[in-house]
Amino acid sequence: MNSITTKFPQDLTKQVTEWIVPVSETSVPVIEAHGLSKAYKGVEALKSLDLQVQKNSICGFLGPNGAGKTTTIKLLLGLARPTGGSALVFGKDIEKENDLIRRKVGYLSQDPRYYDYMTARQTLRFTAGFFYEGPKVEIENRVAETLELVGLSDKADRPIKGFSGGERQRLGIAQAQVNYPDLLILDEPAASLDPIGRRDVLEVMEKLRKHSTIFYSTHILDDVQRVSDTVVILNHGELVAQGPIEELLANGQGTTFTLTVKGDSAAVETRLHNQSWVTGIKTISKNGRVSWRIQVSDPQIAEDQLVPLALAGGGVTICEFGRKAQNLEEVFMNIVEEDNHDHV
Amino acid sequence: MTTYESSLISNRTMGWRMGLRNMLLKENFAWWRTRRWWIQILVAVLILNGSLALNLRDPMGAPVDAQAINYLNTSALFVPILIVILAQDAILGERHSGTTAWVLSKPLQRPAFILSKLIAYGLGFLVTWVLIPNIIFYIQLVAAGREGLSIPGFIGLIGLSFLNLLFYMTLALMLATLFDSRTPGLGISLLIAWAGPLQIFAKPFEKYTPWLEDILPWKLISGFGEPPLAGYLALGAKLPTVVPIIATVLWCVVFIGVAIWRTGREEF
Repeated sequence: MNSITTKFPQDLTKQVTEWIVPVSETSVPVIEAHGLSKAYKGVEALKSLDLQVQKNSICGFLGPNGAGKTTTIKLLLGLARPTGGSALVFGKDIEKENDLIRRKVGYLSQDPRYYDYMTARQTLRFTAGFFYEGPKVEIENRVAETLELVGLSDKADRPIKGFSGGERQRLGIAQAQVNYPDLLILDEPAASLDPIGRRDVLEVMEKLRKHSTIFYSTHILDDVQRVSDTVVILNHGELVAQGPIEELLANGQGTTFTLTVKGDSAAVETRLHNQSWVTGIKTISKNGRVSWRIQVSDPQIAEDQLVPLALAGGGVTICEFGRKAQNLEEVFMNIVEEDNHDHV
Repeated sequence: MTTYESSLISNRTMGWRMGLRNMLLKENFAWWRTRRWWIQILVAVLILNGSLALNLRDPMGAPVDAQAINYLNTSALFVPILIVILAQDAILGERHSGTTAWVLSKPLQRPAFILSKLIAYGLGFLVTWVLIPNIIFYIQLVAAGREGLSIPGFIGLIGLSFLNLLFYMTLALMLATLFDSRTPGLGISLLIAWAGPLQIFAKPFEKYTPWLEDILPWKLISGFGEPPLAGYLALGAKLPTVVPIIATVLWCVVFIGVAIWRTGREEF
């Protein structure tokens, strides 16, 4: 900070310090858990979770059913008490300072339920009432703006009782962000939405990322890959992977190449198996062609040598060759299945 | 975030009152801006004043004072059932539907959650099950020719009716925080409610635990064969004892204390 401010004349120093965000503020994680654990009647739902979610990131929280995602979210919100470890949200302890945390958080539960006798507008007005005292007109404007954002303006004054699952979900997203929270925690936000609704939710999340950190659990891995910066994967209540999505995709199971040939494929396959940098091969034969999915430990060597290797013995024609982009679903399945094997 | 916040004024209430005002607005909305209030009044007037009106019209019926005692006994028997069902539902219904977890994820303190129920339901029941039926009760008695009723005394009767109702309401709220099912709360509340007015239950209590009638609200609006305390007040007479009144107030405080403590420990 000092080295930057000294470059400016004295009268500008004040202005500069106002807009330069201190390094310490940006580097403090919004969510930080250390050994966070939760057991229900002796059954461990969450085992010593260490977690960090950085400011203004969109963090996808993944895991099979029963992995401990909702438990973690409830612990962060003070809806359940940890049996071990600790966690901080905005640097505040989740057990001792939860009141302060909830002022800055918006939350959408997995199965959102509201008061059926209220309309969508009344529900948002009620939610906003927890955060704001007034002025009334401003609150009404915020409510209207939020309804517009989730596409519920035309149904704003209908009782929730008649809402479809998708409309309830939209209302859920609206109530979660009516206070423009610094942290938005969404438990399955795209569940029960049709493809258009899903797309809208992702768009809303992208819009909000400028102002909020978004921590959301989901089963829809395409969505995670589309909007998230970081991913946290839980399995059997344990953290099995955490990091930026690109890193996870790159490191998931090495790099995969696809190679399709016509001709004497057996000899090519033998040569491939003999390479130390080839870690796995899947073969698919179709219409006189043979395709291999080749997992490699060294992508550079593979890129340089796979084609010469295939052509080395002659008698084959290469129909297709390329590096296959890993998708998150494959990475997720590999990580979880590997972890399940370890548990067996 | 500040530029994004426009000119909205943040709610800065902290401590046990955090979220109380907002919850109270919502609870009062549910009472007074839905059909609930007039349904409650309709049921209360039909059961209490309706039965009294039918009895008063019977030329072979009991004297007015006996009819008044019947009214109070009916109130002691039936009001707790409805109060307990509705008050339990205020907690259990919301817990089971998931709305409790939702509101508690907002800036709302758990004591404020319970207190909002207590205040809003207390006010709702006061108007629908105590004030309106008892004002009509007074008019019915005067119309039937009963003289000598003191208005301040009748206000005292209304106060004791409300205290009796408050006992069952707070008991139901507490039991709803202790049990996850409606059955234990309903069973316990009704056992207490009916043990006083119904002779089949009252006899063994009178024999083996006579002190119970002094520490429970049984004597407030019904009695063990004696005029209830509310009756003394209505006639402007001196109360034979105030112990049941003080004990009932203390019970209400204890029940709410336990409900707040239990809700503070609840996980969702």
